[in-house]
Amino acid sequence: MKPPPFAYHAPQSVEEALPLLAEEASVLAGGQSLVPLLNLRLARPEAVVDLGGVAELDYIDAREGPLRIGAMTRQATLERSEPVSRGWPLLRKAVRHVGHPQIRSRGTVGGSVAHADPAAELPAALIALGARFHLRSAGGERTVDASEFFLGPLYTVREPDELLVEIEVPEQPDGTGSGFAEHARTHGDFATAGAAAAICPSRARIALFGAGPVPARAEAAERAVAEGAAPREAAALAAEEIDDEHRRALCAELARRAIEEAMR
Amino acid sequence: MNLVGRPVPRREDERILRGRTRYLDDIDPPGAAHVAFVRSPFAHARIASVAVPDDLDGVFAVITAADLERVGDLPVQGIEGGEVSAEGHPVLARDEVRYAGQPVAAVLAESRALAEDAAELVEVDYEPLDPVLDARSSEVTMSRWHKVAGDVDGAFASAAHVVRATHALARLAPVPMEPRGAIASYDQAEDQLTVWVSAQDSHRQLAGLAKVLDRPEESIHVIVPDVGGAFGSKGAPAPETMLVAAAALATGRTVKWAEDREENFVASYQGRGVEADVELALDEDGRMLALRARMWADLGGYLMPTTAIPTHTTAMLMCGVYDIRAADVEIVGRRTNKVPTGPYRGAGRPEAAYFVECTVDVAARELGIDPLELRRRNLIRDLPYETALGWTYDSGDYARCLDAAVELVRPERHSDDERVVGTGFGMYVERAGGQFETAEAELLPDGRVLVRSGSSPHGQGHDTTFAQLAAERLGVGIDDVELRFGDSREVPRGVGTFASRSVAMGGSAVVQAVGALKEKCDAVAGGRSMSLREIAEAEPGLRASARFESDLVFSSGAYGAVVEIERATGRLRVLRLAAVDDAGTIVNPLLAEGQVIGGTAQGLGQCLVEQAAYDEEGNPTFASFVGYSLLTAAEMPPVVTAFVESASPLNPLGAKGIGEGGSIGTPGAVANAVADALGGVRIDPPFTEDKLWRALR
Repeated sequence: MKPPPFAYHAPQSVEEALPLLAEEASVLAGGQSLVPLLNLRLARPEAVVDLGGVAELDYIDAREGPLRIGAMTRQATLERSEPVSRGWPLLRKAVRHVGHPQIRSRGTVGGSVAHADPAAELPAALIALGARFHLRSAGGERTVDASEFFLGPLYTVREPDELLVEIEVPEQPDGTGSGFAEHARTHGDFATAGAAAAICPSRARIALFGAGPVPARAEAAERAVAEGAAPREAAALAAEEIDDEHRRALCAELARRAIEEAMR
Repeated sequence: MNLVGRPVPRREDERILRGRTRYLDDIDPPGAAHVAFVRSPFAHARIASVAVPDDLDGVFAVITAADLERVGDLPVQGIEGGEVSAEGHPVLARDEVRYAGQPVAAVLAESRALAEDAAELVEVDYEPLDPVLDARSSEVTMSRWHKVAGDVDGAFASAAHVVRATHALARLAPVPMEPRGAIASYDQAEDQLTVWVSAQDSHRQLAGLAKVLDRPEESIHVIVPDVGGAFGSKGAPAPETMLVAAAALATGRTVKWAEDREENFVASYQGRGVEADVELALDEDGRMLALRARMWADLGGYLMPTTAIPTHTTAMLMCGVYDIRAADVEIVGRRTNKVPTGPYRGAGRPEAAYFVECTVDVAARELGIDPLELRRRNLIRDLPYETALGWTYDSGDYARCLDAAVELVRPERHSDDERVVGTGFGMYVERAGGQFETAEAELLPDGRVLVRSGSSPHGQGHDTTFAQLAAERLGVGIDDVELRFGDSREVPRGVGTFASRSVAMGGSAVVQAVGALKEKCDAVAGGRSMSLREIAEAEPGLRASARFESDLVFSSGAYGAVVEIERATGRLRVLRLAAVDDAGTIVNPLLAEGQVIGGTAQGLGQCLVEQAAYDEEGNPTFASFVGYSLLTAAEMPPVVTAFVESASPLNPLGAKGIGEGGSIGTPGAVANAVADALGGVRIDPPFTEDKLWRALR
């Protein structure tokens, strides 16, 4: 379990990092996924661009308007942030399910998003909160909705020369409740499935993870909740397209719990 | 001072917790060549050729089977009353690989990273063959044991009830916290080979090295440093250890192999992997008349030295704690294209306990008798007791263990719209101890006593329990006793640490050696009141040794579990567990309970999440902790423990063994609780959400 040889870059700023990004370069954030993949020789990049020294991407800004999270913010920092737990409690509920405390001390919010593991918690929570992801490249900047960012397992719309720099989470309407539920084989293990919900009187957003190739909004269930359906009925709609009978039942149950928690 | 029976905290922990330990990978000989293995990516293939890369920077050598003509295969141990193939595991594959992960070549390089890079450049031309993954349908039998005792056919013919059940326990990975590893260094001038190895003891490694390398034992020095767990998996010598030693001999370099987690998963021998068809004949009152069992053990691609041993243990324990006077038991070990199996905590005992106890619950349900009542009608009550299969249970009080487990677990059974709750029990009897063990005691000039033991710790706490035994016998404080283990040149030749034998065998040898030393001290004192220091001054160099031999002793126990299954998802929660063990005299209740809790965690792991599964091509799905889960503290239910102390008559301590009870008693109890909650539907572990959810529908 030693990685094959690669070139190592340690830029100190986004400006320095951007020219180093390329098809055959991997971005190293907290290293909780990439390092095992390197050690197992499942990832074989020619170069690794280590963002550990890019301090400008380590921030949580909740002073006014939307929540802005620098991509290199550690998951543990998110977990302990007072403004986050006041204004966006779903993030705190979700991040506590990411691995173990040691993993969250190293793992980053941006790393979790960019890695795009279908069983990851934060992407689903960010989808439920209507987050937007800011990408930068040497050539410019763009912003992508969380619900359009994920294309498949470990596969996103991010181009090889782009860097995820910020996660922007809009202010939630007054009266928004949040709910999060997941099952894993053991505490801290990858989720077998889970659901995240952010619900207010005018709108419901529900996202499932671990249920398909990408975390995805359950729009039929969202409409049902908005129209006043009981959580159990709405949750059944969230899982209706899952083939496996048990997974369908499991996802429906987890969605129900998330919806009920959010409506409490 | 009365030290035996006191919960003395582990005195080795301060050193371990402060990191003042030396594990194999902490040994860093300058200039050592680091080994990476080329391992088969196929479950079954013919090897047409192996092409080794030309000179690479930093690479010292690439070794293939062609370089090992003078190195033998690993030896194979037989089983009493059974047949075992003599074909052992080759150090490196010659013309065939029989499991994914089998070592094919070894690269020696300046660093492990360089060795891994070079290992990728070794070109092995494999011709894949169909893998055999199922023991029942495998056509190659590697071991067989069959015994018929008593009038089995007559009993079945006259029985009022015949109950049939089929059970299986999946393969498990032992997953010690410290993976395996070895370092070898050869002194050509002295013709001395020194091998440091992470192992359960030094002498089995020494014997294996001498045999495989065809060298006299006097020319080999084995040192076992601190060892971070084994659970059985570091008992038999590993092919990789042999390669390290052979490479040191061939190259003259110091050679180091510190296994990584991936290797440990795919190449370390596993436990369990046995299925059984069991038939039980009972009379109209529910008295057990006879038992038939046909069992198939999935042994993997080769026999490791001890692969067949657990199958024999399983077979011999198939009458469990019950007075069954006729038995027809067969176990066949079949070759499959998986990593070999071997002794893993319990080593055949969990299989027997699970098969017997689950069958008893099936019988109880079919006969309409309460499972506890059916057990009580059939428990062995007069001990010693010779079983139909030929072992003599030396001591025990099975009924008392069961009563205690019932009281402690507080049985529950109910269901509502959200959950079903059930209770189950599992009893066990296990062989422990046996063979011999050794110790030497020496009076040091300062009056302290140095004890050298042939037994060897890797997490059990020998340094504390053996010091308690020695200090009590000598009438001194525990700090006046120093223990040494693990160096084949220093400690007397022992058998080793496995089969829950350390206290009963190693501890008895310590007590005898120390007792003999005390007699010598008393003789020097000649009735005068002298301290040990004064005696050491009067008569320097006093020492005594002991070799303690005994037949097997038989620990036993009763476990109870209350479980809850969630209807919506199938999730299983073990609400509480009661563990009642009879290991005879308990030397240190704190450490004994630690053994029970640890064993219980592994037994629960088997029930809840653990399974070393292969896909249909024979690829391991468990090569990392992504594919193989272990329980965490968060999954552990409340466990109530209690000890029944029926002293063994076979050793001076009255001790039996406590190291494995938790892993033996737990699966049957939890499985029976699950079946109880499911209204009699039986499934085998691991009890995953999807299996339970389907069973509820």
